[in-house]
Amino acid sequence: MDAQRPAILAQDLVKRFGDFTAVNGVSFEVQPGQIFGFLGPNGAGKTTTIRMILGLLKPTAGRAEVLGLPVAQAAAQIRPRVGYMSQRFSLYNDLTVRQNLTFFGRAYGLSDAELAERMRQALDMAGLAGREHVRTKDLSGGWRQRLALSAAVLHRPQVLFLDEPTAGVDPVSRRAFWDMLYSLAAEGVTVLVTTHYMDEAEHCQRLAFIQRGRLTACGSPEEIKRSLMPGPVLELAPADAGAALQALRRAQQAGRLPPAEIELYGSRLHVVAPEAHRLRRPIARALKAAGLDPGPMDLIEPSLEDVFIASMR
Amino acid sequence: MSTRRILAVARKEIHHILRDRATLFLVLFTPTALLLLMAYALTVDLKHVPIAVLDYDRSPISRRFVAQITAGQDLDLYAQVGSYDEIERLLVQGSIKAALILDPAFARDLYALRGMPMQVIIDGTEPESGAFAVDHIARRAETFVTQALAAQLQARGLPAETLRSIDLRVRTWYNPDLKPKNDVIPGLISMVLGMPALSVALALAHEREHGTLEQLLATPIGRAELLLGKILPYIAVGLINVALIPALAIFWFRIPFHGSFPLFFALSAVFLFAILALGTLVGVFMRTQAAALALSFLVIFFPGFFLTGIFFPLASMPEEVRLEVLGLPGTHYAIITRGIFLPGVGLEVLWPYAVFLLVLGTAFTAVAALFFRKKLG
Repeated sequence: MDAQRPAILAQDLVKRFGDFTAVNGVSFEVQPGQIFGFLGPNGAGKTTTIRMILGLLKPTAGRAEVLGLPVAQAAAQIRPRVGYMSQRFSLYNDLTVRQNLTFFGRAYGLSDAELAERMRQALDMAGLAGREHVRTKDLSGGWRQRLALSAAVLHRPQVLFLDEPTAGVDPVSRRAFWDMLYSLAAEGVTVLVTTHYMDEAEHCQRLAFIQRGRLTACGSPEEIKRSLMPGPVLELAPADAGAALQALRRAQQAGRLPPAEIELYGSRLHVVAPEAHRLRRPIARALKAAGLDPGPMDLIEPSLEDVFIASMR
Repeated sequence: MSTRRILAVARKEIHHILRDRATLFLVLFTPTALLLLMAYALTVDLKHVPIAVLDYDRSPISRRFVAQITAGQDLDLYAQVGSYDEIERLLVQGSIKAALILDPAFARDLYALRGMPMQVIIDGTEPESGAFAVDHIARRAETFVTQALAAQLQARGLPAETLRSIDLRVRTWYNPDLKPKNDVIPGLISMVLGMPALSVALALAHEREHGTLEQLLATPIGRAELLLGKILPYIAVGLINVALIPALAIFWFRIPFHGSFPLFFALSAVFLFAILALGTLVGVFMRTQAAALALSFLVIFFPGFFLTGIFFPLASMPEEVRLEVLGLPGTHYAIITRGIFLPGVGLEVLWPYAVFLLVLGTAFTAVAALFFRKKLG
């Protein structure tokens, strides 16, 4: 592979379905060996973009390259060198672990000897050794996703596309899944992953935010925070966060509090505004007026979730 | 095209089929069971049709006539009745399918050689039984009147041999007993073998419905490879049925099989390729299994039933329909099965149909592969 070339290149990709524009001029690059996070609400165009880059969907306009090869012309050369985990569970539920791995191995043209070797490694990697003959549907969600990832990398792809691989998976299993991703990236595999989980986004080297078909931000997590969130966030720890949130929203409606994004964050409240520190006093006043204890207030660094929610407004 | 990838898909498909015992059983035995069921439903020989008799004459002659008509297995005398009202009640109840009314002048007119005044009422909701009864009564009446005539001629000292009715002798070749099952069952085989095509359509729709199709299309497996890989195991399944079904036809229904088994097997494989390719076309077009099921019935079974000449001869179809019918694999296979079963003809006669099937199968696969590309997303 040409070292100067990005592993994935999207250039002004556009996809229209009738009157609806699902993807509207999306461009980005992913360098070899990077873990690239693709973030956005449901229906923002993440899956459509991935499908275009994989050559499963013909773009209305724009072009994509994978490993320096144009997708429109060279899909057949690209396919054996990339792996894909589609959004929905991508394995066959009625087949066993071994049958699934065998099928995908053969689909990618592995010889029987290669297949035996890779299968052993895949089972070790997914922690499924000894469970080869279990039907896939009898595995729990986390195990299934690890198996799906093992199947997707059986043929040693250079680029891996993962569409919401951890949706609906418990935190421990998500952790295990990401450990697998790190070791793949360490081996030089380029990973493009979409996710809803902001803690996962923090683990990516680069991120892109997509909203209504357009990229709203692209860069490292720090760059994104800086570009989308001009200041720190005010964090409140009131005794009763729910009641406090209601009191503050009422105060906003009554015009006693300047506009700001206030979100519940566990038992705390995050207030996002251009100059959040100036809101300390009005907030304390509004809460006291409602008979509530404001509790401690701190200015903190915004999390990606703050950025994400703020950028969606 | 890579044989290895086609085989990978085929093996996976076999795993799917073997995985689920219920599906396995269904796929293997439904065509046979269907044949058994339909053969019985469609070839009921009409026998013991119940009728009522309203005899206004009540003469020894009229009684003899009724006795002759209801002798044997064709018509059963359900009741002697006294009025039309009773006939109507029995017809409505469904106890009788027809009624015979003999005029008070029945015997008198017969003696006077003026005819046989009588009436037959049939149940129009079941015209086949009624027509059968009318036909039977008319034939018996003819014999009866000839006999009565002969008796009178003899009584007057005239030679009765001068009375010869037309002697038309019909010979039916290939199916000498004119048993409907001999004709229907070879035709039915082409229909029940459409079942594997339904399975393959469902299997494809299943992949789409469960999202695994998208995963498949991202692998190096090509569209045509995927379709051929899907078809192969079902050809094998179909051939198991091809072995079971003639056995059933020959040993259970006692239908003569005059042709060559290897030829029947080979041409059945060609038919299976064509009908399964049609099944993949259905599977490619439909997004859900329910829709694929509905379309399968529309394009695989109904036309197979009505248009392929199994029950209604091709010659009786309007010109424009006949052309469409040539695009249905069942049309050609019905001709092949009938030809091999009854007259026992060989490839020298059947080759055009085999070629047609190969062309159809290839065309269906090509169109399916072409449309596959456009149908994702």
